[in-house]
Amino acid sequence: MQNIWLYLYFPNLQLDALLQQNPESNIHTQAYVILDEQTNQVCQLNHSAYQAGIRLGMGLGTAAMLNGDLQVIAYQQEMTKNRLNDIAHSLYLVTSDICFFNDNGLLLRVHNMLNLYGNLTSYWQVVQRQLSLQQVGFHYATGHSPLAARLLAITAWDQVTDNVGVIKKAIQNTPLQHTDITPKAVEKLQRVGIHTIQAVLNIPLADIAKRFDVEVATYIGKLTAQITHPVSFFHPKKSFNRVIELLYDIENIQILQGPLSQLLQSLEQFLKTRDLLTQTLVFTLSQRDEKSIELNIHSQQGEYLAKSWAVLISLKLENITLSAPVFAIRLIVENTYIRTPDKSDLFAGKQGRLSRLQLISLLQAKLGEEAVSTPTLTNDYRPEQTIQNSKRLIKSIQPFQLYALRPSFLLTPPQRLQEKVSIAYGPERIETGWWDAKPITRDYFIARNQLGQWYWVFKTPEDAWYLHGVFS
Amino acid sequence: MHPTISYLKNKNLLWQASHTQSTDNGQHTGFKELDNALQGGFPEYGVIDIRSEIGIGELRLLLPSILTRQQQKQTELVTLIAPPMSINSEMLAEFGFALEQVMVVQPLLNKQVLWSAEQSLKSGCCHSVILWHASLSVTQVKRLQLAAEKGHCLLFIIRQPRQEHISLPVTLGIKLSPSKVGIRAQITKRKGSWSNNSFDVYMGAYWPELSRLEDTNVLAFPSRASRAG
Repeated sequence: MQNIWLYLYFPNLQLDALLQQNPESNIHTQAYVILDEQTNQVCQLNHSAYQAGIRLGMGLGTAAMLNGDLQVIAYQQEMTKNRLNDIAHSLYLVTSDICFFNDNGLLLRVHNMLNLYGNLTSYWQVVQRQLSLQQVGFHYATGHSPLAARLLAITAWDQVTDNVGVIKKAIQNTPLQHTDITPKAVEKLQRVGIHTIQAVLNIPLADIAKRFDVEVATYIGKLTAQITHPVSFFHPKKSFNRVIELLYDIENIQILQGPLSQLLQSLEQFLKTRDLLTQTLVFTLSQRDEKSIELNIHSQQGEYLAKSWAVLISLKLENITLSAPVFAIRLIVENTYIRTPDKSDLFAGKQGRLSRLQLISLLQAKLGEEAVSTPTLTNDYRPEQTIQNSKRLIKSIQPFQLYALRPSFLLTPPQRLQEKVSIAYGPERIETGWWDAKPITRDYFIARNQLGQWYWVFKTPEDAWYLHGVFS
Repeated sequence: MHPTISYLKNKNLLWQASHTQSTDNGQHTGFKELDNALQGGFPEYGVIDIRSEIGIGELRLLLPSILTRQQQKQTELVTLIAPPMSINSEMLAEFGFALEQVMVVQPLLNKQVLWSAEQSLKSGCCHSVILWHASLSVTQVKRLQLAAEKGHCLLFIIRQPRQEHISLPVTLGIKLSPSKVGIRAQITKRKGSWSNNSFDVYMGAYWPELSRLEDTNVLAFPSRASRAG
């Protein structure tokens, strides 16, 4: 089987990412360029900028001369890489072997996928559909070697074929400037009258190596598939980590909901395709000139749905205030686990809208984690020690002796008895705790006051009377 | 009888005062006297307004019915919202409650109390909610009522007996006062029925020590004995 490679070239990754993250911005009408600050060259531009005459590799001065209203954004390699990573993640669902090329290209190994998809046309349809979801501009080409595909994609050939003759013919007319050969070597070749690939290919490989650089020879060898091109394939990460760079600073919590829900949507996609759930989201809101805010959102029950998380987040956001405008939002999800379906009774009649864990998460998000608890028991005779509250709903492990006649409410701490009561039952002596710092010796009585309220009172050895509980 | 009247009666559009509707799905409260007064028991779901002083047995009056509900619906929660003091888990466990099915919510702000109650009611995963809250408006009760219907949940609101002129749209209103045998109850409001006279509920079956029979001579209490002597 002959080798077929597909190269996808994304010329405007950062601009596309910005447009996608800020849908209501004017990127599609206004001329925008991305400027590489190290070389002071335009490295990405949109259609309006192109129409104004701006081209790749121009200096900022020239570009600004051509269009007065030009919007310039600094090139951020991180952002481009993230975007390319997202695209690779999405493509991974339909094709297995993906390889990153520079910061703006993806190489797909096609020939081993043809067994699955039958032929190249149906494979390309699937890939194209997956790419259209990403809302990104791209050029593409197939080639019999990785570099051939790359060369054709960069020249915007935009054809998919497994006919090697057609591919070779297309390569031959390509000018040398588009290749990965260094400008110095290109100049050398041009000096001896070699301007296209065709001319280079006419020279035997051994002669090229002798007359020019070894690099040129290697490049040509790889291009014509005479030398194998080593590629390392991409493996998707297990955790979710995504950043949204905002074009405008956001000071209002309400407006923040938009980009947040966008992040949640992509998280939902990420988790759904892997059939995973998560319990914790970590948002980092980067504030201008201030420390960034970290938001931890917990759900007692694992969730993947964006709308379930959106409810919890909006409750959490009620409690925070922004001290400075936010310019970027990062969402990190570290721990995920495989979803196991809930077993609920189909015939139980009423179908609850929330599960109990969802309800607890909801209450905790609004009221704070301390506000929601479940009563638990400890095996101790001291009433203060017996009751304890736990944050989670856990089952008491060991059943032990419980005493009847305990009040429903306890006063913590006990208060001095202030009123006249009549004893109805007692005494019951509790003398324990000699082994730790809180020993008690108390005689407990049940008493009723003038108003008919039932009290749980105790007397200390010093004859001091305390009110400890109420039988509600 | 006029045919129109009998037609309307058959359609259940006309209702005769002599005819009191029997509650079919009433849940037994665990107290004979209260069951009789309610003609069955507490409603399946809705809002029950309880006016009572604290510590006279108002919570104990509810416990048997809530325990029955917990045993019927084992996956659902009992939620206690804003209790005035800390809940004694030993007492709940001793009475038979599964503690992991009990949730205590203690909001810091007053307005969060009603929010928590509404969320718990409509969640569909609580069978009973007990709420301690002082003042309620008609709209708030209506909201809670709708939430309770949505989640098929029973809400008990326990509050101090103060004079209020407005009548709240609750399913059931009970006024409680102390009594020696247990607790004295009066049904103040009930759908499809009138208020009765107050009656005593005997609690000695559950808590013999917290209930004195009318004939106090039978039991010798230390206080009584000392007073007599």
